[in-house]
Amino acid sequence: MRNKSILTILLNTILLILSIITIIPFVWMLVSAFAPNSEIVRIDGGLFPRPSTFDNFLSIQERFNFVRLFLNSLLISISTTAIVIYTSALFGFIFAKFNFKGKNILFGVVLSTLMLPWAVTIIPKYEMMVTFGWLDSYKSLIIPSMVSGFGIFLFRQAIAGISDEMIEAARVDGGSDFYIFHRIILPMSRNTIASLAIFQFLWSWEDFLWPYLMINDSSKQLLSVGLRQFNGQYGTDYGGLFAATALSIIPIIIVYLVFQKRFISGIASGSGK
Amino acid sequence: MKNSISTTKWFSFRNVSIILLIAYFAIFLIYPVFRAFLGSFHDWNPLIQQFDFIGWENYSYILSDSLFWSSISNTLVFTFFSTLFRVVIGLGLALLLFSKMTKFRTAFQGLFYMPTITPLVAVSFVWMWMFDPQFGLINKVFNLDINWLKDSTWALPAIIIMTVWKDFGYATVLFLAGMMGLPDEVYEASTIDGANSWQTFRHITAPLLKPTTIFVVITSLISYLQAYIQILIMTKGGPGTSTFVISYLIFDEAFVGYNFGTASAMAIILFIIIGILTIIMFKVTGEGGIKNA
Repeated sequence: MRNKSILTILLNTILLILSIITIIPFVWMLVSAFAPNSEIVRIDGGLFPRPSTFDNFLSIQERFNFVRLFLNSLLISISTTAIVIYTSALFGFIFAKFNFKGKNILFGVVLSTLMLPWAVTIIPKYEMMVTFGWLDSYKSLIIPSMVSGFGIFLFRQAIAGISDEMIEAARVDGGSDFYIFHRIILPMSRNTIASLAIFQFLWSWEDFLWPYLMINDSSKQLLSVGLRQFNGQYGTDYGGLFAATALSIIPIIIVYLVFQKRFISGIASGSGK
Repeated sequence: MKNSISTTKWFSFRNVSIILLIAYFAIFLIYPVFRAFLGSFHDWNPLIQQFDFIGWENYSYILSDSLFWSSISNTLVFTFFSTLFRVVIGLGLALLLFSKMTKFRTAFQGLFYMPTITPLVAVSFVWMWMFDPQFGLINKVFNLDINWLKDSTWALPAIIIMTVWKDFGYATVLFLAGMMGLPDEVYEASTIDGANSWQTFRHITAPLLKPTTIFVVITSLISYLQAYIQILIMTKGGPGTSTFVISYLIFDEAFVGYNFGTASAMAIILFIIIGILTIIMFKVTGEGGIKNA
């Protein structure tokens, strides 16, 4: 028994050390966000700069319209995520519970999007948006991102596990497919909705290249692009950069905390289990 | 609304959905792929409205370009090591977390997952400063004097370190989910038979985790082969060409140089590389990984 308790301590110590390594960049960023620049760049200072000020947070808004870009990103990420969850559940349901001619080919196309590099389609899509006159419009950010192959795949796996009898019973009671989808399938897919919500929100929130190409109007720009421009222009204002970066990860952490309970079971169902 | 669905048979929930999906794919997937393929055989520059057929010239230019070849080799190095460390660390941590001796499993799991849910743009900035030779934490902690991102020997390893730090948590969660899906009786039986933990892992856990491992390896390959955000923010391909990866080269060619034709040809080559590597992975492992998941 003695050996076992030593092993337990050892194992938990390893985990503790690894988790410190994991979160130290976050802690360092947070502490630095409250430190004056002179303290951050001090060579003879300790590991962490001494936090003493809120100035970094106050000065961000003077340097660039942080609040505006933050809200823009929030609007785009929330709408894209909601739409993608709906379309993924819908098409996942179709692939899981219906038969039709060419189903395998169409599902093959869905899977192929998982390995298609962004680099192949981005130039023609860019050209298309220019032709449509959608530059500087949020249509260009939302409409080409409404369908996700990953999302459809995730939902197909999960919905395939819902019993056919339940759907048949609803049909016998006179429920239309429309009704079944909204009243049975969607409520039963909460775990999958949670995991896709986390992923999709993150992907929309961190998307850089597409908004960079589509949006020129600086008041319509998204935060990820704004952060980089801020860094380019005020590259020596480290405190400000730390503060802006720290603020930029708050929404995704909130989304994660809201959905995390259902998250593990959600991704487990998509990965081979 | 309900009546209109049931009265005409063609206009059904199923058919409307399928038609919408096909229409969407036709516009935002099939057409762009076709256009990129066609464009790769053209001298294509949107700024001067140019779209002239030049046959294989883009491809022969690329294949004779030394920057393309160094980008390919950097991409392969980056992909190999990032995937390897992600899988090894992810699996190792999942085993530790799965152990019954582990306290606070949920808390640890949440911590390890934090980098994964942090935007890559933000993470890249943080690590750019972590690697700063003057005030960066890395040099301070390990008492080193390396100018990580400005030194052609260390720039690519630095980017790999940051990428693995960001992504191992996802692998951990997938492996852990895989282990939790394994039936308890299997473990009990092997303990009763007197197997030690290494034997249990070698003969029971590992084979049963094969589908999860294949899934993690293939998704890692696909995403690392086309990674570029970290490069764009942290090194811009430098110093010299030491961190040029293929997707960054494509970005540079397309949206800095506006050589859409050359960039499209490179994108097609990248697509082929990803396709070949994915097929090899499926063949080597002899399983349908994603497909029969």
